[in-house]
Amino acid sequence: MTSLPRPPRSPRPAGSPLPASLPIPSEDDFTSRLRSPAVAARVGLWLGISFGICFLTGLISHYAQNGDQPIPFPASPFWGYRVTQGLHVISGTAAIPLLLVKLWAVYPKLFQSMPWGDVRAMAVTGLERISIAVLVAGGVFMLLTGLLNTAQWYPWSFSFRPTHYAVAWVTIGALVVHIAVKLPIIRDALVGDVEDTTHDRPSAVEPGALSRRGLLRTTWAATGIAVLATAGSTVPFLRNISVLAVRTGDGPQGVPINRSARAAQVTMEEGGAGWTLDVVDGEGVATSWSRADLEQLTQRTETLPIACVEGWSASAEWTGVRLRDLLDAAGVPTGTDLRMVSLQKRYAFGVTELQGNFADADKTLIALKLNGEDLSLDHGYPARLIAPNRPGVLQTKWLTSVEVI
Amino acid sequence: MAGVSPTRGALGVLGFLVGGYGAYLLLSRQDVDQLLSAAIWLAGGVVVHDGLIALAALGLVAIGARYLPSGARAPAAVGFVVLGSITILAIPMLGRFGAKDDNATLLDRSYGLGWLGIVGLVVAAVLVSSLLRSRTSGDAGARDTRPDLEGDPS
Repeated sequence: MTSLPRPPRSPRPAGSPLPASLPIPSEDDFTSRLRSPAVAARVGLWLGISFGICFLTGLISHYAQNGDQPIPFPASPFWGYRVTQGLHVISGTAAIPLLLVKLWAVYPKLFQSMPWGDVRAMAVTGLERISIAVLVAGGVFMLLTGLLNTAQWYPWSFSFRPTHYAVAWVTIGALVVHIAVKLPIIRDALVGDVEDTTHDRPSAVEPGALSRRGLLRTTWAATGIAVLATAGSTVPFLRNISVLAVRTGDGPQGVPINRSARAAQVTMEEGGAGWTLDVVDGEGVATSWSRADLEQLTQRTETLPIACVEGWSASAEWTGVRLRDLLDAAGVPTGTDLRMVSLQKRYAFGVTELQGNFADADKTLIALKLNGEDLSLDHGYPARLIAPNRPGVLQTKWLTSVEVI
Repeated sequence: MAGVSPTRGALGVLGFLVGGYGAYLLLSRQDVDQLLSAAIWLAGGVVVHDGLIALAALGLVAIGARYLPSGARAPAAVGFVVLGSITILAIPMLGRFGAKDDNATLLDRSYGLGWLGIVGLVVAAVLVSSLLRSRTSGDAGARDTRPDLEGDPS
């Protein structure tokens, strides 16, 4: 780790660790033998794997939130979305130390000189550097916006979900191009010994404070600590050691909330005596149930997780009426897609679509109780949807009507 | 590009297609102000990393190389990588920038204490390891130099 730029171009005052004025360094000013393709390829492999996991689980999450699903998102296993979205955020978090070390290992490339004069070589180098710029910009953007989203910090004016989704495609595209360009070196580096210097820059010969193996082990350790420090938001047995997790997993009635009744501008009065849950079909209101009516129906209890798109999740016991029972009473045939309408007045997802396979699933409830108590207002009193394998934003709270599409 | 294998060629084309689809998604779904904001954050990440984080790392490593005793350099480098990445990761929690006064279940830990706990453990490990290394490297150094001095190749 001793690869400070060599100072030949400007005199360095005695005692100062850095040159008084920093000239633009060249690649050869970075002399640490740790900044080697042998290191970059090994860290890059795991970085690529974590980006791949993020991309696949991200596609799943994006699809699960789409109203329009040519192939219906499955309603089982009930814990599926909890696992894929937990994995999404965990692998994104793991990628932060990996990306920092990877960028450190290849940082001298930023100062690589262009092969001026040779038009063909300039075109190839130029294209490669553009793809690297896109990859670095996209990679940093994805991890940064994802991290900030888990902490619900949005200091920008773009819309998070479409931008994070679009830039994911851009980043993965640039990553695939990067792999295509570097494949021979990656292959050599991974097959060869970590101490191999075949692909090293001629100037990268000085030993660092750590050995290459030492740097790699340090990187894996930093990655492991990053995961342990945060994953308790979704992995229950890590809750006590994840000191940086955005959620303890606790909250009113034992479950965290994402949007409060106050933020959604829903009051207790609205769910009071005048409240009904209406099942609406093409001809108008088919059936209308007060909360007392719903309590008279067969009550079922299911253990289902709330699994937020932001990666946290918590399992709970929900009690209420099976949605299919209500639909049967209203004469709604199986396989019917529904629109779940909330009392909420602010923010997105006040109206969500519930595909027929979810509406018909045995575990899908109109929940009235949470962990044995009447739902608190913040958890969706007087009634909310709770369905298996479904993103938390679509578990509509403060239900007022269920409409046949 | 005559020497490019079909695998690499196909990967390259696939990458361009996937990235191109992303660019289309990015440009077609939002208005100009939102795109400008996204562009600033895309470029800003690179500028902040390459111009600030990387330079800060260079500076700290240079300071460490100059002032730390040799036995402490490796443990300090380990501590620097771990704490540097964990601290960057912890910024949104430490600042509680996304906290909402109507939702006590979000950002509901003492993140400053948690971060200090990690710092304390890592610093303690670095110090212990530095002490052990300076002690054993002193011993090992004495042993290692002898064959050299005597010219004994074994």
